[in-house]
Amino acid sequence: MSQSITKVCVIGAGTMGAGIAAQVANAGVPVLLLDIVPKEGGNRNAVAEGAVAKMLKTEPAPFMSKSAAKLVETGNIEDHLEKVAECDWVIEAVIERLDIKQGLYARLEAVKREGTAVSSNTSTIPLAQLVDGRSDAFKRDFLITHFFNPPRYMRLLEIVTGPDTDAGVAAKVEQFADVAMGKTVVKAKDTPGFIANRIGTYWIQLGLNAAFDQGLSVELADAVAGKPMGVPKTGIFGLVDLVGIDLMPHLQASLTSTLPKDDPYHAIARSHPLIEKMIADGYTGRKGKGGFYRLNKEMGRRKETIDLATGEYRETIRAAGPSGKASRGDLRALVEIKGPIGEYAWAVLGGTLAYAASLIPSAADDVVAIDDAMKLGYNWKAGPFEMIDKLGAAWLAQRLESEGKPVPEILKVAGDRPFYRIENGVRQALALNGTYGDIKRPQGVLSLADVKLAGKPLLKNASAALWDIGDGVTALEFTGKMNALDGEVMKLIVEAIPLVASKYKALVVYTDADNFSAGANLGLAIFAVNIAAWSEIEKLVAGGQMAYKGLKYAPFPVVGAPAGMALGGGCEILLHCDAIQAHAELYMGLVECGVGLVPGWGGNGELLDRWQSNPMMPKGPMPAVAKVFETVSTASVSKSAAQAKEMLFLRADDAITMNRDRLLYDAKQKALSLVDGYKPREAPHFRLPGESGRTALSMAAEGFRKQGKATDYDMVVSDALATVLTGGEADLVDVVSEQELLKLEREAFMRLVRSPRSIARVEHMLETGKPLRN
Amino acid sequence: MQSVVIAGYARSPFHLANKGALAHVRPDDLAAQVIRGLISKTGVEPADIEDVVIGCSFPEGEQGFNVARLIALLADLPISVAGMTVNRFCGSSMSAIHYAMGQIAIGAGEVFVCGGVESMSRIPMGGYNPLPNPALMKKGNAYVSMGETAENVATKYQIGRAEQEAMAVESQHKAAAARDAGKLADEIVTIETKAGPVSEDGTIRPETTAEALAGLKPAFDAAGSVTAGTSSPLTDGASAVLVTTEEYARAHGLPILARIKSVAISGCAPETMGLGPILSSQKALERAGISAGDLDVVELNEAFASQALACIKDLGLDAAKVNIDGGAIAIGHPLGATGARIVGKAASLLKREGGKYALASQCIGGGQGIATVLEAVE
Repeated sequence: MSQSITKVCVIGAGTMGAGIAAQVANAGVPVLLLDIVPKEGGNRNAVAEGAVAKMLKTEPAPFMSKSAAKLVETGNIEDHLEKVAECDWVIEAVIERLDIKQGLYARLEAVKREGTAVSSNTSTIPLAQLVDGRSDAFKRDFLITHFFNPPRYMRLLEIVTGPDTDAGVAAKVEQFADVAMGKTVVKAKDTPGFIANRIGTYWIQLGLNAAFDQGLSVELADAVAGKPMGVPKTGIFGLVDLVGIDLMPHLQASLTSTLPKDDPYHAIARSHPLIEKMIADGYTGRKGKGGFYRLNKEMGRRKETIDLATGEYRETIRAAGPSGKASRGDLRALVEIKGPIGEYAWAVLGGTLAYAASLIPSAADDVVAIDDAMKLGYNWKAGPFEMIDKLGAAWLAQRLESEGKPVPEILKVAGDRPFYRIENGVRQALALNGTYGDIKRPQGVLSLADVKLAGKPLLKNASAALWDIGDGVTALEFTGKMNALDGEVMKLIVEAIPLVASKYKALVVYTDADNFSAGANLGLAIFAVNIAAWSEIEKLVAGGQMAYKGLKYAPFPVVGAPAGMALGGGCEILLHCDAIQAHAELYMGLVECGVGLVPGWGGNGELLDRWQSNPMMPKGPMPAVAKVFETVSTASVSKSAAQAKEMLFLRADDAITMNRDRLLYDAKQKALSLVDGYKPREAPHFRLPGESGRTALSMAAEGFRKQGKATDYDMVVSDALATVLTGGEADLVDVVSEQELLKLEREAFMRLVRSPRSIARVEHMLETGKPLRN
Repeated sequence: MQSVVIAGYARSPFHLANKGALAHVRPDDLAAQVIRGLISKTGVEPADIEDVVIGCSFPEGEQGFNVARLIALLADLPISVAGMTVNRFCGSSMSAIHYAMGQIAIGAGEVFVCGGVESMSRIPMGGYNPLPNPALMKKGNAYVSMGETAENVATKYQIGRAEQEAMAVESQHKAAAARDAGKLADEIVTIETKAGPVSEDGTIRPETTAEALAGLKPAFDAAGSVTAGTSSPLTDGASAVLVTTEEYARAHGLPILARIKSVAISGCAPETMGLGPILSSQKALERAGISAGDLDVVELNEAFASQALACIKDLGLDAAKVNIDGGAIAIGHPLGATGARIVGKAASLLKREGGKYALASQCIGGGQGIATVLEAVE
């Protein structure tokens, strides 16, 4: 049904509207972006055009590629509203004023086709009020689609339908938002703040109140209501700085005016004089002069924090937050700590979880919707009900009761049972009627976590596992920290190949983790270096090369299915796959030079082959070599799958999945599509320029060094890379085989890994996560 | 010796490489349009043309296949008209003129179209397959980068950043004033592109100020003094002049701009290639029997402000007579096309401004200089 939306109109080119338009364009669908005609200036489309121009300069980028930006057509609502007739979905993202929205809908009704969905991105206004006065036909086409900021990166979409909304129209929008735009749709009720912002605002308010009341420092508050709770480490004060302190009174006013009189929010909605003063003085957070935290430029960019009692800034002090298991996700241990930490944790967590539990069924039908909303809308690691399971529902109910607080109905229903359980290998959730039901995946969604619950791995060791994902397809999963790659992974690949060849049809390389793989296990490598186990290191390099080539030439199709970071060795395994089915958010690159090394697991030859066989490349021995040299020596990483395609990390016929949840399913289908008549690729042969080409590359690198863009040691590393890419001693008229190139790669790697300056780079990366520029 | 004259000059508008209005135009198409413009402007009989000699610094890709012959065909010249591509890097199209003069001297023709073209958008500097000789690379500075030579000259002549920037500002202002006064219009041939006709330079930045230039980062050496603002920009463009015997020009009523009095070419150290004009100009002046003080017009290519300033100093040139309508820092430097531009420009200026002698000279990557002395024709 997603095909039935072929053009979208977004009205309102503010941050949200423009960002939503960009995400439609990222899906490859043309989008019309309209805004008002500016009061001054001759260009009537200036507002929408300005929004697109601004997005092209914004980081993180709203667009996944420059070609996506070209799909956005700009205009204004005075001259171009009739173009809405060409669109299948109109998203309204104008200012949060009922009269303005209603006025726009009246005009839209006159120009839109029947069946064209109209949705509002409102975060506060009830649907019933929005469609007041509109025709029945308009009401049938109307719904609320509430995106989160920034729309490209936040996966949550809350959809609210009204009593008159046509189910087909809603399904059409939902399907498009899910498959094309990559959003996870959570169905919310037509209640104020919907799900995520209602709970999120409550949580923030509790956090602010408790810190003021208990006299906690901002740093300590964030050290408690941050990582230990499985929420982003910015904590609450850091989050408010990020979204804008001035937004808080607006949210508060909106919720207090719309929430039912008996909602617990009214009791906690307070304004703090210090916060009012900060807003008045322009201290609105990161976008303003500073917030609860600031960088004092007059004192050499000193990090400062506001003292909640005095209102004065002072140097930021690293707070000693919880330790032990309370710092590692044991929520019961956290709230039971004696003293301010435990008290603060309980005030925030206990209150928030009780509030979330009280919203079933008024704001959402089930616990999964609430948990998904908080995980995807606020980046919490676990949703409120998953957190309650950690505390124990009965324990929570008892503690609330002992403090004289109301116990939400669903907690009573749960009793001493968890909200989630595994039954016969299937995850189930508890409903308000007291029964458990299977958590069903939508068509086209395959979860490796589900596969793992249901069975045992075909192969498994400390760093990788092989799973049967059905229909004759297997999945190779990395399991180490950050999915780091090591000898165990290579060993498992070598074992997997004959197994898959004899009993299965295809292999998918996939992991459920946020990041596909950050590359080789550097910690292990540095250990080997420290004991001078050079032959072990060389074995690891050669073993990786052999394992990856084994995958490449295996008698069955291998499909890589990366999402997030795919760096170094993680990039190299993908380069050896027959095809890649990538998540749209793919950050892929050969980054070895950043740690003073060169790609050692066949990445050089694979990328070289891609560029050499690109018909767009000029002829001759240098263009492909120079392109790969530029990409690898600068450790360039794609900022999207679309960009990875431009960099030829992905081939032209590799496919992109927008919705992370659909990646494994799509990859499996891709693998199955390659099974019939499968033949492995033939090994490439290279015509390389040898020393002359290396001289040319070193001239280019020298230019960068003179400009101050490359260090002295960069020259050494890039020369090692150049030696590999130009074929070492090769001559123009000779043919260099894949194996010869692998040998050059190994030699260059082994030369560099022994250098103290490379070792310093690796150690620095391990300690700080940042490259050392030595 | 036969008297040889410049009997017509035309060029395309010059535009910044990659982002300018000519980035999407093939260099062969660009040059062909300029030659058609030159022929229509001068009224020369195409069948009388002996050869089309085209200078190009990186004659490969769309500038490959002996592009001069292809340009002649694209320009719809009679099939009897030949074509030859000449490469002497930045001196290419001035060399094309010198070649024609030599051919005339040995009685091998009397009408030549001499021009140059470079699309720095479409063929990268250095070409697609740079393969320097490793042994020569180790031996010296044969492959030194142009920016580095500009720094070397600045150091050697102690030309500070402010002095370079003052020259760049003046070049921009002179070019803008000339354009605004319509003084560039008659040399420019309107180029038809897919996006419409292009008839003005896109390189000139009249808003340039010394303050703005002072804020730029060094372009080639983090500790150096040469910036993008004091260098000629990467440029797309083509140029051409009509070179004939004076006798032919007079017999056919062609608009004679100037007579070629003398020419010279010389080598110098690659690492200070910007000083190339000094020796070559001295040789040409000596061959013409005149001194720098006799010059009324000078076109000295501004590859970089530092080298142009050094040449002005060493040659004892009167700065007021140098690049009257602005130089390459403002107008641009499409490598192979610059020589014909500055010879055509010097000849035109001699006619426009009056006076007896003009000099056109430029430096050449790898360490050379080239010069042409022109004389007014009564």
